Amino acid sequence: MTACYRYDGTLEGFLCALALCLESGGGEAEFLRPGAESGAGLFAGVPRDVVTERETALRFRERFVTAVSRDAFATLRYAFHSEAAGVEELLWRYVLAGLKQGKRLERMLAQEPVCTVNRLARAVSHEAHRFTGFVRFREVAWPVGDSWGEGDGEKGTTFLYARIEPAVDILAFIAPFFTERLNDRDWMIHDLRRSQAAVFNRETWRLVREVELTSPPGYTADEEVCSRLWRSYFQRMAIPERHNPRLQQQLVPLRFRAHLVEFGGEES
Amino acid sequence: MNNRTFEQRLEILADSAKYDVSCSSSGSNRRGAPGGVGSTAVAGICHTWTADGRCISLLKILLTNACIYDCAYCVNRRSNDIPRAAFTPAEVVRLTMDFYRRNYIEGLFLSTGVTRSADHTMEQLIAVVRKLRDEERFNGYVHLKIVPGADPLLVAEAGRYADRVSVNIELPTRQSLALLAPDKPRESVIAPMRQVSGLIASAREERKKSRTAPQFAPAGQSTQLIVGATPESDREIVTLAEGLYRRLDMRRVYYSAFVPGSSDRRLPALPTPPLLREHRLYQADWLLRFYGFAAHELLDEERPNLDMRFDPKSDWAVRHLGLFPVEVNSVEYEVLLRVPGIGVRSAQRIVAARRHARLGEAELKRLGVVLKRARYFLTAGGRYLGGIRLDGATLVARLLAPERRPARLDQLELFPETPDASALTGEL
Repeated sequence: MTACYRYDGTLEGFLCALALCLESGGGEAEFLRPGAESGAGLFAGVPRDVVTERETALRFRERFVTAVSRDAFATLRYAFHSEAAGVEELLWRYVLAGLKQGKRLERMLAQEPVCTVNRLARAVSHEAHRFTGFVRFREVAWPVGDSWGEGDGEKGTTFLYARIEPAVDILAFIAPFFTERLNDRDWMIHDLRRSQAAVFNRETWRLVREVELTSPPGYTADEEVCSRLWRSYFQRMAIPERHNPRLQQQLVPLRFRAHLVEFGGEES
Repeated sequence: MNNRTFEQRLEILADSAKYDVSCSSSGSNRRGAPGGVGSTAVAGICHTWTADGRCISLLKILLTNACIYDCAYCVNRRSNDIPRAAFTPAEVVRLTMDFYRRNYIEGLFLSTGVTRSADHTMEQLIAVVRKLRDEERFNGYVHLKIVPGADPLLVAEAGRYADRVSVNIELPTRQSLALLAPDKPRESVIAPMRQVSGLIASAREERKKSRTAPQFAPAGQSTQLIVGATPESDREIVTLAEGLYRRLDMRRVYYSAFVPGSSDRRLPALPTPPLLREHRLYQADWLLRFYGFAAHELLDEERPNLDMRFDPKSDWAVRHLGLFPVEVNSVEYEVLLRVPGIGVRSAQRIVAARRHARLGEAELKRLGVVLKRARYFLTAGGRYLGGIRLDGATLVARLLAPERRPARLDQLELFPETPDASALTGEL
């Protein structure tokens, strides 16, 4: 009988589910996100609800890092955020293999489940790297009309607002990057596809779920000037004799362009 | 010349700067600092790509495109009738910060035409970077051009503010330089390169002793060569690049396909820029830097130019078929790197994975190794992966053959007599 665990969809929750799995002997397991149905049909057990506790998650991480390595845990974390179907079961097998094989896990590149986990992790880390370049902040007057609901800022300030629609869940990877880079402004990176946002208040960033705009963002006058300058600069940098739109599309696939200022994204 | 609007000047100066091909923002790893803006990523970050497929990573701009020199290949040459414009240091700083905060760019690439004298021009460039670093506390990437002939003290100051500095050689030989850029003697280009190379090395030594020692151009120096404007062979170019990498510790040599546009009689009349040649030169350049090849292995007196039909590594391998096939489970890393189709990542993965298990064709595929070309040069567990053994000529034909796909079969019809399937679903 497959054991069945229902967790809250976060990495922390997933680590707690893994810890629980190990405690109860570690056989076949199935993991359900909120709202997901078990795929085991007739043979499904009654899902156990997993309580998310930071300590349990940290303990589990420590155990895995000691048994295998820091890099292997990083791989697990990246792969988890791929949100691929069945990734939890795959990672469960990865964890079991890791606890059994120890440091050898990292050399098992050509074996399942390691090679699939690595492939997923690479895809996520690649997407995160791309977005360190593709995030486009726009200066927004704040508060605009109704307030945003999150945070409490002074009246009449501005902050930087960026929209993205990444293929995988990368906010947790790019937010620390921008925290370090742009620490003198408030900013918010809004993942439209997952309705969540990374919000930075000049000190720390946090993840806010179920974010929705109640009105379109009101860009400042400076913002209009700056994005116009950027567009004309971008146009001018192309050398006509080397025109190669196929190459350009390979490097900036269309799915990214909706939110890139220089491709006319978010024309206001 | 400054009664144009800011936007017009930006367009003019961008137009004048775009022919410099250096684009990278890599090689410098600096964390953000409290009270400052920006950081650098060691691998560099591209922010967008223009319609010619080149990346924009840095705000590449000239301080002014007015120039006292008259180099035939350059769009900003004195005798060229183009609109001229200039920015003040404050304008460049403001623009950089505005673009940087919106994450359009990784930093600034500042170059300029030469006005008055080399020293005066260099001082202007340094003024911008100093303002950026000291007043705005800008921690992002800065690439600064060194003006040929500038005073060594100014060169030393530039490297303290910039992550990367560069002087462009532009033309591979002394004769070509004398012909096309009569105002720029080769010494005025090579001398600052030597100086920068020495300063980088000594700053690195100092850093080993003390972590607080000042850095000098932590991302090193680069240069650029124009390809196709003068009759040099690929061999001369690749050998020069090898010398620059080995002796001056250059980080990058960029190759720029000459874009015809001037009717100067000293320049060749090319219908289009030699883009394929540029591409092959970059491939050869990578072989020099990351694959342990030497210039004389790729090109010699009998074959002074790269084969345009396929990449230099395949070309080399086909000429050395006696060394292949190699056994993927036992051959050294250095030899793996020489197998066509296997890059640094694949080679590293193979070396790591084979310590745990023997690799066959399926395992190689699982590692993500692309076997399209590599299979003809490999055995796995003693089995040759290329099918039948090929002699040189057939192998070349096989490597050059376009991907052979089965002719597209027509979809089998379930109801062949039905003229249009959508009629069944009521869509008509």
